[in-house]
Amino acid sequence: MNNELALLNNYLVVGAVLFGIGAIGFLSRRNMIVMFLAAEMMLQGISVSLVAWSRYHNDFGGQMFVVFIITVAACEAAIALALILMLFRASGSLDIAVWHHLREANQPAYVDEEIPEPPPGDTAAWPRLVPAGIEPEIDREDTDHRPHV
Amino acid sequence: MTFYELVQNSLRDSLGTSIPAFAPELLLCATIVMLLLGRMFSGGRSNLAYVIMMVGCLAAFVVAWRTDAPEKPVEIFTGMLVHDSFALFMRRLLLLFVILFTSFTRLSGTPDRQTATEFYTLILGATLGMCLMVSANHMLIVFLGIEMASVPSYALVGVIKERRVSAEAALKFAVFGGGAAGVMLYGISLLVGTLGTAHLPTMSVRLAELLGSSAGSEYHPILVLAGLMIMVGFAFKLSAVPFHFWTPDVFEGATAEVAAFLSIASKAAALALLLRVTLGLGHVPSTLDTPTTVPVRYAVSEDAGTATAESASVSGLVTDSNAALLPARQYSAWLIALFAAVTCTFGNLAAYGQDNMKRLLAYSTIAHAGYMLMPVAAAILLAGTDPEASRFTVAAIGFYIAVYLFMNLGAFALVAFLRNELGSEQLPDYAGLARRSPGFVICAAVVMFSLVGLPPLAGFAAKFAIFAQTYEAGLLSLVVIGVLNTLFSLFYYLRVVKTMVLDPEPEGRPAPTIRIWSNAGFYCALIAVLLVALGVFWNPLFAEAQFAASMLLP
Repeated sequence: MNNELALLNNYLVVGAVLFGIGAIGFLSRRNMIVMFLAAEMMLQGISVSLVAWSRYHNDFGGQMFVVFIITVAACEAAIALALILMLFRASGSLDIAVWHHLREANQPAYVDEEIPEPPPGDTAAWPRLVPAGIEPEIDREDTDHRPHV
Repeated sequence: MTFYELVQNSLRDSLGTSIPAFAPELLLCATIVMLLLGRMFSGGRSNLAYVIMMVGCLAAFVVAWRTDAPEKPVEIFTGMLVHDSFALFMRRLLLLFVILFTSFTRLSGTPDRQTATEFYTLILGATLGMCLMVSANHMLIVFLGIEMASVPSYALVGVIKERRVSAEAALKFAVFGGGAAGVMLYGISLLVGTLGTAHLPTMSVRLAELLGSSAGSEYHPILVLAGLMIMVGFAFKLSAVPFHFWTPDVFEGATAEVAAFLSIASKAAALALLLRVTLGLGHVPSTLDTPTTVPVRYAVSEDAGTATAESASVSGLVTDSNAALLPARQYSAWLIALFAAVTCTFGNLAAYGQDNMKRLLAYSTIAHAGYMLMPVAAAILLAGTDPEASRFTVAAIGFYIAVYLFMNLGAFALVAFLRNELGSEQLPDYAGLARRSPGFVICAAVVMFSLVGLPPLAGFAAKFAIFAQTYEAGLLSLVVIGVLNTLFSLFYYLRVVKTMVLDPEPEGRPAPTIRIWSNAGFYCALIAVLLVALGVFWNPLFAEAQFAASMLLP
């Protein structure tokens, strides 16, 4: 019994530490990708502690929980990455502090450190997906000059 | 049990009871598939998405309407969900809302033909999550339901990709949502781990054992922490202070249609889920009749793997257990009461100086979340002493949610229709509207007065019911705070009407004309008439809500 309890304690500590590191990273980082990675780390900490509880109670409910958490984390990551891509296209930066246009009308923007302007002349054409069900427009120029590999 | 028997049992459980009770949700799933297929063939050039969405939602609503409530709560899908009158009432409300919402988006024209499929698919996905939330009976479904409702909402907020503010709003929503979901899940893992089960009725039995035993006191800090962390997730969904920061920004950045969806459906489902979890954990059901719910305590012996099971007879212990759960009830009730008081006061104070209509309505939503949390605290406190009064309180909450649905839908419909005419969502631009479109302004006034809670409108009946029940539970200070806030909220709702009626029309730009017999005007008039009718003949709806609550606290 003591062994089991000690094992549970160790794993719960690991889980709590992972969760804590994730939470601190989530709150302190400004890079959007790192923020969402930190959020994922929070979920992994929870998964570790659920598996530990599951072993301690000797039933598989906790493990089942973890399978669902992983699935949901994947969905969240998909949405978050799509969003980050959209935001990066709009601003050319991964810094979350660029996005401060929505705020109370009479409040100044909170900027703790000047954000460098995105380099001028960066007009790279990012590839775009065509809406589904519509025949894409093919760029003749592009197809004619494409080197055949 | 052999494998064959296992398959037979599972088939009987699914086909016999679970699938028929779950039919509306399955219809929603089928509609999602049809929408995506329809997009493949129509190429976004026709109104096919809207037609499929409307037909699917109507079918789901009719099926939900014709589903009879069972005699007593029935657990479906091996105890994951519960099918009772409360779940049925909330699902009907949600489906009715989606139907009204779809016709509203059609009239306001916001998802255009190109984006309609994505928009409606996301709406249906979120609605499916909300339907799971209101019938949750297991902590896994609590988590899954919240995530299924949240994740499509992040995408919905940013559905207009070209607007920079939409993108920013979606980012803020996703960041807050991800963080809150993580914290809530950690709380769930602590609670579920300590109690050794995630099935809500069994959890209440274990919690009563733990709180009743003398050795349980060392677990108190864990339980308090777990409760607090779970409450963070709920506060985020309900936009309760101090987890409300996303609300005004997201509402301002999203289109008025999406804001309406977030402000109504999401709040209603979160409130129903909060009731389920708090009442479920604060009350031991006297009728645990399914085999899954017989509490079996596994203790890991020296050689791990062989578990010894001690089962306890439940029915005799129920009264003791409910007494033992008093600390749990008091803790959650006081926590929720605190959230309610702060949320309601802050929402009303912050709404006062707003010029952007969507920000104003966002703070009004926050304030209403505060009002709606007050009777939740009352229902939890009453659950221990007087279950009948507690059920009546839940009925009052159900009635409030139903009325709130129409009020806020009306408010956001006004904003969307005026945006189409004016191209602006600023309150000063509404000046002088009364001269050109008097009928429309009357509808606006009805909606605003109902949001304040003035008689004889539906808002008054709803507010009166929840304040009366809060008083019944002895929470006099909460009632005083609520009434003072109602008085204060009069100013900013009246300011909207004042701008429309008294302020002169701006120079050089005539105010738009929205005739009451146009589609938009007719929609607003319909909601205004409903609000007046519900304010006078509130009895049928309240009776329905009372029936809904009758199966809680078994």
